[in-house]
Amino acid sequence: MWASALLIDPLILWLSKGLLPAAKTRDTYAGVGKGMGFWVFHMAGDWTVLKLPSEFLREAQTMATLADSFLADLDELSDNETDLMDEEDAEAANMEEDVDGDLADIETLNYDDLDSVSKLQKSQRYADLMQKVEDALQRDSDASNQGADGGMVLEDDPEYQLIVDCNSLSVDIENEIVIIHNFIRDKYRLKFPELESLVHHPIDYARVVKKIGNEMDVTLVDLEGLLPSAIIMVVSVTASTTSGKPLPEEILQKTIEACDRALSLDTSKKKVLVFVESRMGYIAPNLSAILGSAVAAKLMGTAGGLAALAKMPACNVQLLGAKRKNLAGFSTATSQFRVGYIEQTDVFQGTPPALRMRACRLLACKSTLAARVDSTRGDPSGNSGRAFREEIRKKIEKWQEPPPAKQPKPLPVPDSEPKKKRGGRRLRKMKERYAITDMRKLANRMQFGVPEESSLGDGLGEGYGMLGQAGSGKLRVSMGQNKLAAKVAKKFKEKNYGSSGATSGLTSSLAFTPVQVDSAFSSGLGQWIELSNPQAHAHQLGSGTQSTYFSETGTFSKIKRT
Amino acid sequence: MSYVLRTLTKKQEVDSVIRDTIDKVLVLRFGRASDTVCLLLDDFLAKSVREVSKFASVKLVDIDSEDIQVYVKYFDITLIPSTIFFFNAHHMKMDSGTADHTKWVGAFQQKQDFIDVVEAVFRGAMKGKLIVNCPLPPERIPKYQLLYKDV
Repeated sequence: MWASALLIDPLILWLSKGLLPAAKTRDTYAGVGKGMGFWVFHMAGDWTVLKLPSEFLREAQTMATLADSFLADLDELSDNETDLMDEEDAEAANMEEDVDGDLADIETLNYDDLDSVSKLQKSQRYADLMQKVEDALQRDSDASNQGADGGMVLEDDPEYQLIVDCNSLSVDIENEIVIIHNFIRDKYRLKFPELESLVHHPIDYARVVKKIGNEMDVTLVDLEGLLPSAIIMVVSVTASTTSGKPLPEEILQKTIEACDRALSLDTSKKKVLVFVESRMGYIAPNLSAILGSAVAAKLMGTAGGLAALAKMPACNVQLLGAKRKNLAGFSTATSQFRVGYIEQTDVFQGTPPALRMRACRLLACKSTLAARVDSTRGDPSGNSGRAFREEIRKKIEKWQEPPPAKQPKPLPVPDSEPKKKRGGRRLRKMKERYAITDMRKLANRMQFGVPEESSLGDGLGEGYGMLGQAGSGKLRVSMGQNKLAAKVAKKFKEKNYGSSGATSGLTSSLAFTPVQVDSAFSSGLGQWIELSNPQAHAHQLGSGTQSTYFSETGTFSKIKRT
Repeated sequence: MSYVLRTLTKKQEVDSVIRDTIDKVLVLRFGRASDTVCLLLDDFLAKSVREVSKFASVKLVDIDSEDIQVYVKYFDITLIPSTIFFFNAHHMKMDSGTADHTKWVGAFQQKQDFIDVVEAVFRGAMKGKLIVNCPLPPERIPKYQLLYKDV
């Protein structure tokens, strides 16, 4: 949980806001716990290290940043070397699990004592809270038959405060377990280094370590029930080829002690969770109607309270509790998509894998709405939560419906859709081949009162109409230029006439040819401009008889005598 | 008998169907459900009823009922199955190279043949013709002999 808190920045804000009030109580605890050595606690992911009680009082308020704490460590390392009981806690800094843990390399790993590592179990706060939880659970089992106070019990604050404290406590316990896990792992590395990569879960690891102990032959150890059988097999196989050596007695002792500590922390965390779960129906009935009380309790715990959870946008709620377990070097192609505690709800587990992403998003959204309803105590009976759940269930079912069967399309009505006529240059050219020529047009018409000529003469055969009649104004009918050619000619003219614009405005496109003049003309006139018709040249290019390869005017440049 | 197509047994039903089909070709098959050729034809009709549904509707008429004998006499139906086309209450005739243009006698060889025939009727009818030519080649048209006064 806390790892996710570090990764998601908005959460840090919420968490810090949620935990600050608790910090005040911590100060008082610290006052009480003066004789207990040093304190380790965290604020929103910062590992603030407080040293000896005397220094605690001096430094408590100033120590906020990690860097400061480490500098302080470095100072004190030289001072208190002889003090083994209250060991220097460089190690506390080493216990950082998070991404910016490169600072941990600065300090050396030289802790020997478990107490130096994990202090939570001995803390007063822990003890108090556990006591209260026990009492409440006891009360519950005694008073289970008594009538409920009717819905929300939560106008009385102590209970609510207890829940809030339990939330933060469970977060702390989780962190503590991770620290202890690291401790165990480091110690057990001498014996069985591969185990840490095979068994990831801290509690499972602790159980396995406890079971194996100092045994060299793992096949003699019965790991049934602790691990899935596939992993047992892998563990046995790797143990047979492991490069580890048996541990010395006292280290073994410490390791077993750490395992016990981890397991007891786990059980107390479970107790806290059970307690919160039992109360969940009163605190947040709508939220627990959608997600189930266990997951709802975890979410609340991570968020730092119901109000904090309600303030979060749904996308963050979706990611609460997401484990970022990308083992370095391993492929992320198979890593799960970004789901947090919502993954553990039965709604999510019951959806087919293809729809899981959508279901997760849907659940996160609806549970955020439910949390908001709960935080304002809008619906104490939990009905809106149940309505949400029903809605979610219906939606997921709808997604799983097969698509409606495809029916064959009926044929369209004949001739109902007009044919798509094409246009364009190509079509026009094609049409020209069948267009009516001018000759035919003339032949189709007749002049009034003038008999037409015909092919066989005397009215027989095909009539010629106006073709070839005198007075029609045309000596001969020739094929006129068709429209297309006219367009082309126009374009060509423009191309030759209009220059590309690079020339200045004073130039003229008329040809300027000096013409040899006779002496008869040379008296008065000089040269004159000969106007040349560009179209004439255009036509010249078109005729096939003129040779374009050999220039009309030019001569051979060089004739070599061979 | 096809379970998809409705079979009409009363004269009044047939009347209403002919009157009420607007702007669609009405295909009336006169026949018996027990006859094999009829069944073949019915099969094709049932399969293509949805495909031509935009411009045709298909109904089956049972010639064994008494009401329908009027129609049997009117259309001179002697061979089973006989299919008669209507468009907007006009009786559409089709020249398929056989002796009888007023009806289509027999089954079809392919579903597509039936659809082609219906389309030809529709196109002709939309243009205002009352008799159309058959688009099928002669080998696909079922041949039959008509007896005239037992000759």
